[in-house]
This record gives sequence, C-alpha cells and structure tokens, in this order.
Amino acid sequence: MTKPGHIPMLPQADKIGWSASVNGKSVSKSVESNAILLDVLRDYVGTLGVKRGCDMGTCGCCAVLINGEPRLSCLTLAQEVNDTDITTVEGLADGTHLAPIQETFAIYGGSQCGFCTPGFLVVAEALLRSNQNPTKDEIKTAIEGNLCRCTGYQPIVDSILAASEILSSNEGTIDSTQHQSDPHPGFIEEDN
Amino acid sequence: MSDEKEMVGYRQQPGKLPFARPGSGGKNQFSQLRDDELIPESQGGKKKQPWGDHRHDELVTSSAIGKRTPLYDAKWKVTGQAKYGDDIRLSNELIGKILRSPHHFARIKSIDTSAAESLEGVVAIATGADATAKFGVLPVTKDEHALAVNLVRHMGDLVACVAAEDEATALEALKLIEVDYEILDSNNDMAKGLEDSENPIHDRGKYHIGESNIQKRVFQEFGEVTNMEQKAVASHKANWHFQGVNHGFTEPHAVAAHWDPRGRLTIYTPQQVPHYLHRSLADVLEIPMHQINVYRTFVGGGFGGKSDPFPHEMCAAILARKSGRPVRITFDREEVFWINRGRHPSKIEMNLHADSQGRLCGVATDALIDGGSFASFGHVTTYYNGVLHTAPYEIGGFHYTGARVWTNKPASGAMRGHGAVNSRCAVEVGLDDLSEQLAVDPMTFRLANLLPPLSATITGFRITSTGMRECLEKVRAASGWDEKFRKLPLGHGIGVGCGFFISGSGLPIHWDPNKFPHATVHLKIDMDGGVTVHTGAAEIGQGSDTVVAQSVAEVLGLPLDMIRIRSRESDTSPVDLGSYSSRVTFMNANAAISAAMEIREELIEATTEITGADKEKLVIGDRRIYDKTDPAVGVSYLEALHKAQEERGALVASGAYRTPPMGRAHKGAAAGLAPAYSFSAYVAEVKVDVETGETKVLNVWAAHDCGKALNPLSVEGQIIGSCHMGLGQVLSEEMVYGRTGNLMNANLLEYKIPTVHEMPNVFPIIVESNDPEGPFGAKEAGEGPLLPILPSVCNAVYDAIGLRVNELPITQDRMHQNIEKLCKEQGVSDPLELTSPSIEYSQLQEILAKRAEEHEKRDKERRNSENVEPYHNGALFGYEATIPPEEQSNEWEVSVTPSQEYLENPRLAGSAWKHVERRHRSDA
Amino acid sequence: MRTPPYSLHTPDSLDDAFAIVEGLLEAKEDFDWVAGGTDLLPNYKWHLNTKNHVISLANVAELNTLNSTHIGAMVRLHDLSESEDTHPLIRKAAASVASILIRRSATVGGNICLDTRCFWFNQSEEWRESIDWCYKCDCGTGADCRVIPNQNTLCVATYQADLAPSLMCLDAKIHLASPNGKRVMAMNEFFSLDGITRNVLEPGELVTHITLPKNASDFIGDYQKLTQRESWDFPEAGIAAAWKLSGGIIEELRICSTGLESIPRLHSDEANTAISNWNGEESVEKLAESVRKAIKPVNNTYFNPRYRRKMVKVLTRRCLKPLKNL
Repeated sequence: MTKPGHIPMLPQADKIGWSASVNGKSVSKSVESNAILLDVLRDYVGTLGVKRGCDMGTCGCCAVLINGEPRLSCLTLAQEVNDTDITTVEGLADGTHLAPIQETFAIYGGSQCGFCTPGFLVVAEALLRSNQNPTKDEIKTAIEGNLCRCTGYQPIVDSILAASEILSSNEGTIDSTQHQSDPHPGFIEEDN
Repeated sequence: MSDEKEMVGYRQQPGKLPFARPGSGGKNQFSQLRDDELIPESQGGKKKQPWGDHRHDELVTSSAIGKRTPLYDAKWKVTGQAKYGDDIRLSNELIGKILRSPHHFARIKSIDTSAAESLEGVVAIATGADATAKFGVLPVTKDEHALAVNLVRHMGDLVACVAAEDEATALEALKLIEVDYEILDSNNDMAKGLEDSENPIHDRGKYHIGESNIQKRVFQEFGEVTNMEQKAVASHKANWHFQGVNHGFTEPHAVAAHWDPRGRLTIYTPQQVPHYLHRSLADVLEIPMHQINVYRTFVGGGFGGKSDPFPHEMCAAILARKSGRPVRITFDREEVFWINRGRHPSKIEMNLHADSQGRLCGVATDALIDGGSFASFGHVTTYYNGVLHTAPYEIGGFHYTGARVWTNKPASGAMRGHGAVNSRCAVEVGLDDLSEQLAVDPMTFRLANLLPPLSATITGFRITSTGMRECLEKVRAASGWDEKFRKLPLGHGIGVGCGFFISGSGLPIHWDPNKFPHATVHLKIDMDGGVTVHTGAAEIGQGSDTVVAQSVAEVLGLPLDMIRIRSRESDTSPVDLGSYSSRVTFMNANAAISAAMEIREELIEATTEITGADKEKLVIGDRRIYDKTDPAVGVSYLEALHKAQEERGALVASGAYRTPPMGRAHKGAAAGLAPAYSFSAYVAEVKVDVETGETKVLNVWAAHDCGKALNPLSVEGQIIGSCHMGLGQVLSEEMVYGRTGNLMNANLLEYKIPTVHEMPNVFPIIVESNDPEGPFGAKEAGEGPLLPILPSVCNAVYDAIGLRVNELPITQDRMHQNIEKLCKEQGVSDPLELTSPSIEYSQLQEILAKRAEEHEKRDKERRNSENVEPYHNGALFGYEATIPPEEQSNEWEVSVTPSQEYLENPRLAGSAWKHVERRHRSDA
Repeated sequence: MRTPPYSLHTPDSLDDAFAIVEGLLEAKEDFDWVAGGTDLLPNYKWHLNTKNHVISLANVAELNTLNSTHIGAMVRLHDLSESEDTHPLIRKAAASVASILIRRSATVGGNICLDTRCFWFNQSEEWRESIDWCYKCDCGTGADCRVIPNQNTLCVATYQADLAPSLMCLDAKIHLASPNGKRVMAMNEFFSLDGITRNVLEPGELVTHITLPKNASDFIGDYQKLTQRESWDFPEAGIAAAWKLSGGIIEELRICSTGLESIPRLHSDEANTAISNWNGEESVEKLAESVRKAIKPVNNTYFNPRYRRKMVKVLTRRCLKPLKNL
C-alpha cells in the first residue's frame, strides 16, 4: 500500500503489560512491546515533566533516574526497565518541600525557559547523592550530556554547588525538610 | 517575633495557614523598614546617583527593584509542573502530522488523499485548498500559506496534514497521500538570487523587483560619502561569509487547537508573539479575532524562533475545525530546522576608513542576506544589517547597501540580536584592524570615537543614555587588558568587541493610524489585597512575568508573593506586541508602572482620608503608607485599600506605553528606531591550537549597559546565556547545505551547540546608565549582550596567532586551512613557528588617549546637566553639534536611492538596484 | 519520533537468546540484537534498516563480567571507564565516548559493533527519500552510493567507534557465540572492509566478550580523538597507540586508527618498521606521516576528509609524545 522505500508504521506492535514504581507509586500499564520509556512516561504514566528535546540522546531533557541512576529515557526500551524504580522531576520534592537542588535552581537562575531543567535536576540529584561535595569539574562531567540553550551552564553549575553546600552543611542528610525551603504550592491543575 | 519563627519551614496544609492579621498581607506578617541603601539620594535615601535623578525615583519603595529575584515561575519549572506546548493534553485529542515536500522547488500538480482518508483511524486531512489566504508576520510581506498552494519552496515545506487517533496511524496516512510534483530548478546560492530567474520563488506582482529573487533591497548614504577613501590614512576591507544558524531552543514547536462548543477557537502554543499569531489566524481561518483565544503555554526557549505565526499552528486549527476534536501537533527536531527562521546566512563586505586624527571617517557596508524561501521578518533584517552599526561610534560617512533574496532553503528570520550580529562582528573586527594599522590600542581607539549621551546618530537615532565608555573601561580593568594585549605568547590571545542594540522597536509591526499603545497592563486588586496583573507580555524564560511583577510590587510597596501574573490568554490579557526586539522590560514595565501609579494615587488618597495627613508627605513602604516626617502616622496597605474600595469594590487600573515621536523622515528611517539603546563591551581570552585549529575560549569579561538592572539575576543570566549562544555561532554552529541542496545537519548531534565543556568563565559586569525614559532607568539586556562575543573572540584569535578570520563559524577545519595559508605567507613550515603579533604604539595613541579623556568629561557633563544642547553625529568632524549637519553643508549627503554612477559599479548586494520594480517598468 | 513496529524479545540467558534466534532463522525472519540501544534506537527512529524482530540482551547477566582481562559485551561504557580493573588506555577511550548519559546506557559490545555512519545515511526517512535513498539503506530501490556515485558495490560509511583501536593496540581477542557454537579471533580479524556488513558476525552470532592478554598491563599508551565538541560528537579521527618498553628501548609498538574508514585499522607494518630503527622525534614524525598515508577517509562525516587525514598525523604525534626522547 505505502510508497516504495517507506517502512510501514502499522499494525503497531502488540501491547503487553509494563509495570514500575514511578516516583514511589506503583504503575501498571499496557504498552506496545517495543515502546520507548520516554513515550510511556509521557503518554501512559502522565509524568509530563519528562521532556522530549531531540529524541536522539543529544539533549538530556528526557533524563530520569532508574534505580537512582540518571538515564536517557528516549533511548531506553520500556521493557528493559520493567519493575524498576523510576524517579522523574516530579518525584524530587519531599512531600511539599522542594529538594535543595530544586530550590537552588530557582534562586541561582539555573532555570530560564525551564525546558531542560527536569533533565538537569535529576542528573544533579544523582550526582549529589553519590558525591556531596563535587568539584566544578565533576559537576561539568556530570552535566555534559545535558544541553541548555538559555543559561550558558554557569548558573546551573552555581546552583549545583549551592545545593551541595546546603547538603554538606546538614552533615550529610539529604532530608530536604531540614532545609528551610519555602513550601511549594503542591500539585495544582491551573497554571500560574 | 515568635510568630515569624513559626512561619519558617512549616508544612503547608490547606486550610491550616495561620490567618494573617489585617494590615499585613503576604507570607511575612511584618512590614519591613525601607532599605535606605536602595532609596535614591534624590528621595533622601543613600543610593548614589552618579548618572543623575530619574523620573521614577519617587516610586522607589525598596521592595523589589534591583534585587536578585528568582523567576516568578521558577517553581513550576523545577517541579515539572510547567506545561509546554506538547504538555497540553486535551481529552479526546487527535494527533496531527504534516506531510512535507521532498523537493527543493516544485509545482504541485495534484494531491490524492483518498487512500489516506480510508485508513482506519484517520479523522481529518487538509491540504492547501483548505486555507488559501496568505499570512506572514509583517503585513507588507505576507507570503506564507498554512499548506502549500501550488508551489513548494523548500524541502520540508508543508504540503498536507493529517489528524488521526494516534501517531502511528497519522504517520502511516502521510505515506498514503499521493502528490504529483513538477520539479522546478531550485537555487541555493544567495548571489544567484540577485539575478533574473525564469521561475522566481515568489511573485509579488507589480511590486516584484524585476524577475529576480530579491525580496528587499536597501540603499542608504549619510554624511561625507564621496571621498571616504581619500581622506583615510588607514582602510580596512573584508569580505565576510557568515553561515546560517538556528535558535536551537530545547523545546521543539508544538501546538494544540480546540474549537469550543460555542465555535470559538483556543490555540495553545509556545509563542513569543501571540498577538501576531492572533491576527494571522483570523486571516487564514477567515473568522473575526474575537472568536479566537490564543493561549501561550510555557515557552521552552524562543530567541526569535517562536515569533512568527507558523503554518503548523494554522494546520492544527484547520484539522480541529474539520474533525470537531482537539488536535495536537508536535515537531520532531528535524522539523524545527525545516521551519527555521534562524539567523540569515550572509555575505558582508565591510569597509572602514580612519583619518589622520584617528576618526572613523567612513563606513561602507554591503550586506547580502539569504532569506530562504519566505519573507518572515526579513524586510526589517535587511535594514538592521546596516543601520544598527551607526553607533556607538561617531562616523564621518555611512554608506549601506543591503539586499535579501529568496532561495530554496528553510526561511531565515529573527534571531537574538536580529540583523545586527553579523555586521557588528564585521565592524568590530575592522576596528581592530584599523587600530593595528594606526598602531594604537583598540580600546583607546574606541574610547576616542564614542557618541555622547543625549545625541543623534548619523541616521537620526536618538541616543538617550549610554554607558559604552564605562563598559569599555570596566572590561579593560577586569581583564588585565594592558598587561595582556599583544603581549601573550603564540596561541594565546585577548580581544575586545562592542555592541549596540535597540531596546524595543520604536515602530510596532502592526501600526495603526489610531496610535494604539505598544504595551498595556491591567491591574485588579480586590479585598484580599493581592494584585492581579493582566499583561500580554510573553514570558519565554527571560523573566518578563518577573519584571512586570517587580515593577508593580515596587510602586505599591508590596512583597512579590502578593503579585500574581495573568499573561497567558488573549481573552484576558490586554494586547501586547510580544517578546521580540528586546521590548518587554522597557515597554511593559513602563506600562505596569503607569497602571500601578494610578492605584498608588488611590491608596494615598485613602490614607489622607483616614489619617488627615498631608498628601505630599505620604510615602509608601512595605505594606504601609505613612508620613515620611513622622512614620508613626500612617495606615497599613490593607486599611488604605479597603478604604479606597468603599462603594466601588475592586480597584482596577490600566497603564499603557507608547514610544515618543522620534526619528527622521527618509524612507526606512523607522527601522532601528528605539526609545533607548543598550551598549556592551566584552573582552575574550582564547587559546588556539595551531596544529589542529581548535579554538578554546577561556575567559570572557562581559560588560553590558542595561540602564538599570531591575533583576540583576536575570541580567547576568542573559549576559552569560548570550555568550553561550554567540559562542556557538563563532565556534561551531552552522546550518550545512550539501551538494544536493539538502540541509545536512538537521539534528542536535551534527548541529553543534556548545556543551558545558566549551563554555568559558564568563564574568558579567552590569553597567547602569539610568536611562531617562526606561522603567526605573532600565533598558534591554536580552539581545544586545550577544553582539560583542563574536568579534571579541575573532579579535582574540588575531592576538593569539595573527590571523584575521572572515568566515564563521571558525570550526577547526576552517581554522586549520587558514593557519596553513598563514604559514605559507610567513614562510614557515611548522605552525608553531608563526609570529605572535606585537605592537608598538604610534604618536596617535597619545592624541587618542587625550581625546578620550576630554570626551569622558564631555559625557559626564552632558548626562548630569539639566538643559543639554543637541549633539548631532558630525561634530567630531567639525560640524556645529547642535544642528543636523545636512542643514549645514551640501557635502553631507542624505540619500536612500542609488545614483546612476553607483549603479555602473555596484557592490554585490548593491547590484540588487540594477533591477527595476515591475510597476516602474516601461513595459508594465 | 517513532520506531516502526517490531517484536522485542527479552531473553534471560544466552541459551534462551539462541533459542529465539533459531526460531527466527527457521522462519526466515530478519532480526537485530540490541545491547545499550544508544546506536540502534536512534537508527530505528530514523527508520534505518529496521527489522521485524529485535532481541534485547539487557537481561543476559552472563555478558556482564568485568575484570582486568575479561570485558563482557554488556558491560556499560560508564562502568568500564570507572573501574579500577580496566586498563588505563581503555578507560580513557571509554570515558571519551559521547556523553556521560550515553555512556550509562552504551555497552562495550554495542560500541565495537557500532553501525557505520555517513551523512547521506544517518537521516530521517523523509530526508533520505528526498535524495532517492542510498546504497546503505536502499529500501529496496537499488539506490546508488551518494558518497562515491556510480559504484553500488561497496558502502564507504565510516566506522566512528572509540573502543576498538585501544583494544586492538592491547592485542585483545574477541569472543563470538551463536547457536552453532563459539569462536574467538584477534580484534582486527573481526572487522571487514564494507560499510554494510562491517564485521564477520554471521546471522544469529553475537559478541560475548573481549579478553586481553595477561601482559596487557605491561603496555602503556594513549588515545587521541578529533571532535568539534567535547561531548556527544563521534570521533572524526581517532588514534590509539600502545607500547611496551624494556630498558629504555621500545620492545613493541602498536598503532590503530578509527573514525577514518569503514573499519578501525591496525598499522602494524608502519609501527614495526619504525621501532626497528627508532630515533626519537624523527621516528615519531616519520611514523605519523606513514599512518597518515595509510588511511583514506571519504567525505561523509562532519569534517572534510582532507583535514581529517592531516589531523591523523597530529594525533599520532601527540599519542607518541612520550617516545619522542627515546
């Protein structure tokens, strides 16, 4: 039916069960067997904080934590991360309190248009969990897979350094409720 | 104070928020004292005012302005709650996909959609026949269709679109649409666009320029232009080639459209300029504007790339109308490059002349810019390539020829630093070369040739405030210039470059005889005391919501958390022209201030009524209005508010901003006119690996005069971000077209945006020249800071290895080729043996230094005195400063059409004037 | 972007995998292996030579072994570069791949078997349709090569992987397995000069692991690559060198290039000639020149071939810097 040279897109792959813990909540969905994690998170789970910038692994906007490790969801097959623990930007805050890294991104201008922010945040969060006092160079390596077009990266590095100071001043705790953050307004449907 | 402690770190539970006592408002219950450090001296405070008083001084309450303020919407962004284009998921939505042209230029003979229509799950299909009305961002050059009508003009041009139940079905349907094309000869070469063609890419009827592909041409001559070369002791000439670049925002375009049951359209889209989309939708859909609500989602980066009304936005609306269901269209990254609107590929010939006194006696520029297949903002870009380098220097003669041609590429358009970036780079590199020839320091050379504050440029732009001199001096000191310039070893160099940019276009795109304002802001305050700000200013990450909120908070003495911004929907926002031409801070904050002043007046009236205090003595502090001579006499903000609301309820106010009348009368005089201009100077330090050609930028000292940093956090963010984007254009970014005319790198792997590793240390330096008309003295900081990074890097490369580049980007392979050439010239086989440039100053250096000193005094006097005499460009060349030089002498040209003599031997872009517009042709 | 539909198989062991393979071979069904997915998935999103079946190795734990002489095919590049057990030369090469986020998914096997690249090929379906396809992905149209027209017998797409040259310089052996059994060979025998077939893998065969000789740790070396940016970019040219010194004399020297042709190339003759008569800087210079002469890049990547070829000399010289004074 289709033109010569083109690869048919239909029929779609069969649907199979997929489950994971997303931001601490068990999720079970029926998805195409070849589905890509980014599509599953955005279209089935509804965690729209995970962004699609290039879909090819060259911008990092889609980064999420899989069992605590930052990964590109656009290059991850959903089936391969069945039954894992997935954290997206929506899962970084502790209850109604922002994580230090979220707080410092706001205060130090680490976020301008904000589209790359979810990716940077999860990458930074993972870095700070494994290394509470990263050097500038370590931060740069950690975020080398994330593209930001607004900030010139410098305020992002500053934000991560500031978050590391908050964390280390609390003697290693990453319990963000210890930090005097503003309570954020919770999850509301209406935008600002 | 114990209450205050309890507020810290508490968990918010709905309904359990401690109820604030009347008289406070805001999260912090207690009024703060005014911070004297932030109150201007003119108001009895301690804030120094080296640049004089400002008309907004009396409005300063020390609440918000000048403080490092996190973006109003930052917390939506860091929690993942910010909804961008593709995050709008309406129930029962369909997915739209677009069929695009595989040819660079072709005539559509027929389209058969029947097979696609019969595919299960396909709900609607549209083609060019569904919407034949033309649109375009500029009313004078509407040349786009929602979907191609008759002709496809570049690969990726929109041909048809499909709405289906899911993405896979929509994609499959595209493959079932049969299009019969007649392929036409395409052209990719901008120089060829100047020639007559059998099939011009567009037909503008009687306004068409010959049979060519010239979309716009400009000719301008001002000053003593006839013998620039003869008067010069040093001349610079360079033929530049700038490749096209793309905005590279991280969010691909996405749109959702929905017609509500009453038949009104709501379109959700990440737009910088919602109002022009509003107008275009009305044109294309042939419905009145009031039947459309344009909803601006969060915008994942714009930089000019989301400021045109776009065909895919029309497509979504058309498909939604046809299907009766919401339709969402999201671009792949490749489609972002196909819609483009990035910086024009340009060929620029730059000629600069300096006379024996080290004055810039002539600037002659010829700029040919490649518009791709549509006009977009190109009409303006063609002017900007010339007129935006008539400052900050005083010049003796200015000659500009510019032309924009259509080619079969994705359309070029507006991109951060619109039209000014490439020619500015050419000018600043030329100045470096002139200083080299004159054997003077390029810093001193610039400092001795600056226009003063409150002056007019050669084409009649009105410069109000300028901090150019301070910018140069600050980067000179911070970078250790005097110890480094021409003294660093081979491969290590330092360079300077300046910038000048409009702070809001003086002429709105859609102007009207009725003198509509450029920006309007509405305020509404009800019982609760919170202030709702309605503005159409498009927040695109630059902080426009924040700056408007700050302005209102400052005037009313309120904490920022009492201000809420409603800026998303055209249904509720007053018309604003959008986020382009660096206009938002200047125009919207001014409009917000006037609206807030109305409310302020009412609050003060009410306070007088309650307290009986003398109105003249009342001032506003943090949520308190009191007698400045006896602060115990006063009322809280809420008390005053409630008094003012008696009998009438909510206070509402409207404020607007419109540029003052300005500029001269010649054709094109309005292009580049702005109520104020920003200035900047950067010093870049680079290392060049002479063996590989790799250029690494180590440090950038970046001084920018933004008038007044309303939010220093944002200003610095803009400066550093501009460095990154400009650096991309210098070092690695280019849209590469291959031998088949295809764009070879329509993806973020091969379109090389600098990574964190390529980013130098940027030291932002804010200069505050306190613009008399700017809100609290502010001017723009969003685009101007991009300009100086290109030339400062190029000049640093010269300082490092003695190489003058004239093609950007300076990718390693290009640099390597240049270095090989240089080795040949210097007769060395090993590039490590190249000579590092050095300098010994001539006698002129002394003269210039002295002149710079005198000018510094002149400038200080001008900016601080009450009655300043006019200063017209030309005074440096012996003309009477107070009278326009053209009124003093016939030698001083003002001309906007070429002479026959010029046409006998025109420059490249100038040759556009050889064609006769069809309506003026004898055979017409 | 959507990949075309295909069936994804996720076996838990090699035996399971081979059982799936046998079934597919019998049914004459085409299939691909997927390891980390960072090469295959972008290609599938662009609809490049997609198959109806893909077998994922993600759950095959037996391919994860990593120690100083054994590197499993499914070891991720990030883990390889972070491991103290890894040879420093391999660590450097692994750490230089793309970006840290890519390296957290990308695997050793996937990097070695990286598909060759070409700017006429690595494009979307719509894009390739506009040039009437190309030889490497002709979509059944019999299209010609777009790099060197009028020859559709050899694909000249470029091999742009970072790991192979370092492994080859350390004399690594590559271990393959298929339902028919196992085989092992020297790394340089694994690759075959054809941008389409690329290597000797038979249908159903895969790379299980790499082994290094015990004396690999006696070798030191360097890897130098040419890219425009420090992250993301594939090597436009890459040179690895490793040598073994004994009493100030170069006992063995190996040089290998990548990013320049359809295969990584070991420059044994050139290296052996040089060390037979080593004379410090002069030999470095000569050797660098002979490596430059030995490779023939074509115009299908970001930098032009003329420049890439010249840079081979600079990169080789920089790799061999420690040998300048010997």
